Amino acid sequence: MPILTADKVADFFKNGAPVMLDEKVAPRFKSGDRIVGKNIHPKGHCRLPRYVRGKRGEIVEDHGVWIFADTNASGRDQKPQHLYTVIFTHEELWGADASPRDTVVMTLYDDHMDHA
Amino acid sequence: MDGVHELAGVDSNFGPIPIDPNEPLFFDEWERRVFGVTLSVAYAGLLNFDEFRFGIERMPAWQYFAARYYEKWAATLETNMIEKGVITPEELEARVNKLKKEG
Amino acid sequence: MSNVSLLARPVSIERRGNLAMATEKSVRVRSYEDDVSIRVRAIESILSEKGIIDKGGVDEIIDFFEHKIGPRNGAKVVAKAWTDPQYRKWLLEDSTAAIASLGEEFVGLQGEHMKVMENTPEVHHLITCTLCSCYPWPTLGLPPMYFKSTSYRARCVKEPRAVLKEFGVELSDSTEVRVWDSNSELRYMVLPMRPEGTDGMSEEQLADIVTRDSMLGTEIPKV
Repeated sequence: MPILTADKVADFFKNGAPVMLDEKVAPRFKSGDRIVGKNIHPKGHCRLPRYVRGKRGEIVEDHGVWIFADTNASGRDQKPQHLYTVIFTHEELWGADASPRDTVVMTLYDDHMDHA
Repeated sequence: MDGVHELAGVDSNFGPIPIDPNEPLFFDEWERRVFGVTLSVAYAGLLNFDEFRFGIERMPAWQYFAARYYEKWAATLETNMIEKGVITPEELEARVNKLKKEG
Repeated sequence: MSNVSLLARPVSIERRGNLAMATEKSVRVRSYEDDVSIRVRAIESILSEKGIIDKGGVDEIIDFFEHKIGPRNGAKVVAKAWTDPQYRKWLLEDSTAAIASLGEEFVGLQGEHMKVMENTPEVHHLITCTLCSCYPWPTLGLPPMYFKSTSYRARCVKEPRAVLKEFGVELSDSTEVRVWDSNSELRYMVLPMRPEGTDGMSEEQLADIVTRDSMLGTEIPKV
């Protein structure tokens, strides 16, 4: 087991703990795709925020293949998949009274979305 | 999990946003220690950031809201070390009681 | 973890860490704070005896974050982008690589994967983390209390203009407010607009006017 001693601190910080993987996994989405957040309620860790479940957004960018945080939190199953930047309008999230101009952006994994 | 940590859009009265340009990084020595110990345990491969966050999300709901920030670190460190069998609950309670007696 | 006590004494706001407005006198909560320092000591001493952690390493990493990491790195990134159009372009296209090029500790723990967004008259970016308090440590240091507060985390994505007003930032209705929820492992930083009246300033002088909050979107940098 590696022990963090004083001389290893700077390298530990610099190297960090990258979660992007150099693996080939087919993406389910591409930029410009309309998506809907899945209506799921897993009992474990979940990075799909409740306020975008069932909400429609648009893929802005594909960031490649990442360790899936949801499964990595329990049992360390990496379940590699694509991570995307997704944009939602305030009106979609908060209704007709919301600002017509404002938006919310987040990153979601393949397992979090369906095509709208 | 659909936990109380999912705060987005909640209108409850959480009070004004605590903006303080002069706040310290840590308020107490135990906050420093729990920060350093948690990162050391991560380095040892016994805790990843996702496990760390999931441990915070599973705190009792009232405790989650009443806790100071680094109490959440203490809670998830404790939860994770016990779940992974690194520390047993009996061992921890015995040590806590010993330290309390010593004052 | 079983002793439930009445949290009867008021806890001062700055010591709460997390602005829970649980009414101190009426809500029964386990007062973890009363013995958290002992519990942390207990865990540290056990892990130390088992040889899992090293006291010198713990001391050093605390010192590292207290003295070597902070928003100065982020300010240098912004100042460079303000003075070097090629760098600015690179920063917006491949943030992680552009930030890493400025020094050894500019990327790392909780800043392994970065994205920088540029504020313009049309779009104002604001960063939050609704699920926890994820934050780009290498460029900005450890997060301020407000970023970790329930209030900020609850409100940013729903009423960002009201939140910004509490910070003294008022935007025109024609400006889009784009709120970035740091819900996964991509970490964000805002490239603020360069203030007027800074034409003759050097990169170093510019870095001095870049505040931490301006890189989160809660402040507009001024001369």
